[in-house]
Amino acid sequence: MNRTLVVYAKELRDAVRDRRTLLMIVFVSIVTGPLSMLLMAQFVSSLDKKTEARKVRMVGEEFAPPLVNYLKRVDVEIEKAPADYEARVKEGSLDAVIVVRPDFYERFLAGDDSPVELVYDDSRAESQPSIAQAERLLRGFNRETGTLRLIARGVSPNLIETVKVEHVNTATPRQKGAFLFFVIPLFAILAPILGSLSMSIDATAGERERGSLEPLLGNPVPAREIVLGKWLAAWTAGSTVALLTLASFVFAATLLTGKKLATLLQFGWPELAIFMAFVVPLAGATAAFLMLVATYGRSFREAQTYTSYFVSLVSFVPVAAMFAGLKDSTWQLAVPVLGQQMIFTRVLRGEAVAPLEWLLTAGVALLAAGLCVAAISTLMSRERIVFGRS
Amino acid sequence: MIRVENLSKRFGEIEAVKGVTFEAPDGRITGLLGPNGAGKTTTLRMISTLVQPTTGRAMVDGVETGIDPLGVRAKLGLLSDARGLYMRLTARENIAYYGRLRGMDTPAIAASVAKLAAWLDMEALLDRRTDGFSQGERMKVAIARALVHDPRNVVLDEPTNGLDVMTTRSLREVVRRLREEGKCVLFSSHVMQEVSALCDEIVILAHGAVVAVGPPEAIREASGCTSLEDAFVKLAGAEAAEA
Repeated sequence: MNRTLVVYAKELRDAVRDRRTLLMIVFVSIVTGPLSMLLMAQFVSSLDKKTEARKVRMVGEEFAPPLVNYLKRVDVEIEKAPADYEARVKEGSLDAVIVVRPDFYERFLAGDDSPVELVYDDSRAESQPSIAQAERLLRGFNRETGTLRLIARGVSPNLIETVKVEHVNTATPRQKGAFLFFVIPLFAILAPILGSLSMSIDATAGERERGSLEPLLGNPVPAREIVLGKWLAAWTAGSTVALLTLASFVFAATLLTGKKLATLLQFGWPELAIFMAFVVPLAGATAAFLMLVATYGRSFREAQTYTSYFVSLVSFVPVAAMFAGLKDSTWQLAVPVLGQQMIFTRVLRGEAVAPLEWLLTAGVALLAAGLCVAAISTLMSRERIVFGRS
Repeated sequence: MIRVENLSKRFGEIEAVKGVTFEAPDGRITGLLGPNGAGKTTTLRMISTLVQPTTGRAMVDGVETGIDPLGVRAKLGLLSDARGLYMRLTARENIAYYGRLRGMDTPAIAASVAKLAAWLDMEALLDRRTDGFSQGERMKVAIARALVHDPRNVVLDEPTNGLDVMTTRSLREVVRRLREEGKCVLFSSHVMQEVSALCDEIVILAHGAVVAVGPPEAIREASGCTSLEDAFVKLAGAEAAEA
């Protein structure tokens, strides 16, 4: 145990002296995460503003008095769009424009369908609310006109509207904010990997490359104790970086002064504590796995290639889980990364987490870590690895 | 004392070491001489327990490598074929790391580092990071690291490889001092002059097998040659002459 601590202390000292890597980690984890969250918050609040401002842009409003009348009655401000509206929609300075043809009123009176063009570019996410709003208003006008016409002909309007849809949105403000918090679970999972990456490689492939592994193993210390010390050091580094990253998220959340967003973004110290309870065991597993993969590398660079596959795989999991529409279920808890991802999302939704769930995820993670450490210890006594011919 | 009995190592089709037997007594310098690829490094790795022998056994102070590898390592000071240092640590920290791994306390390590630094003339290097050290400076650190625990038996794999004259001389000085302290020193080299200048006993290896054992004079006489170099060439084969 003592000798494990000697290895542990040496690895940490070695890592702390590596200023360039340290700076990179601090920058990526502590600056980019919260910064991206602030930007997203900004984006969300601008979306809210766009829908709040009930305003449509029109071309040819003079040809459609009934439509204009309807829009005014539902309290929508009409703004005349500039003549080059199509170019402006393309470049993004206009979101959606309603274009009325000169023959609109004539056809309207005749009871023919009266085409109206809705010009938009749906490739831009930030335009979506405005497009949806314009569409909703046109549909509303349609329904009103149709209903009035049916009544005028003595037909009940219920005949065409067999299903009456009423919107009841049960999402609490916090849940609405959860999609925004997609970024926090992602960072919570990736930060420990980033934090332990260079250390895991340096302690395995790095030792092989500089030729320090052979003399190290010449000491009267079982390989298992050496590997254990190295792993504990990488685990510490990963957990520390994760803590710093999440703490900077908490700090960034306090910077959000908008009243609406402040209620959405409830990621404070209690949530941080729950996150860390799940991040720390996972960090042990990812550090051990990184080391195992890196042990096969004869050089730092080769190991970097191997580990980058693992890093992309892990960063893909949350995205895949979201798009596959995975429903929360117990089996996911037993899958490292997937389980934590699920728990994190729930914590951000303000739901409780059971101690048993922690026990399961932590148990699986530490078991995986133990298996990796045992495998690395075996590899370290293989001549093939120690003398690095393949 | 290091004893090697009928040691063999096979890597797939290739038999790198074939039935090697010799003894390196205490208070003597034993040289393992042979051309490149003769099996010197593999033999030393088997003695230091990093490679498992296919057959045979090696013993250090009566402890067998196959039975108690950690016990053997504890009795050995090893300068292995690979001797990489940690570049972000100072020379002193590199040496102290191995001292701590061997269970030494801080004062004992400090005393040992001071003694070895004086032997190797490297006091000025101690508190510099090893990043940027010359090959000779790195070798000095590696040797001090191998000797920090004051081992009874010292195994040096090609210690003079790539060193300048000055460093080679200070290294020879260290090896002689170890002998004076009654240590068992076993070192390998492919340079005949190196071995003849320093060794009390020579073991000549060629193609994985021992071709001659004994003091330099005895080997020369037994081969019927006028110089040790001729004897080496005759015993080890033509390729040794180029080395």
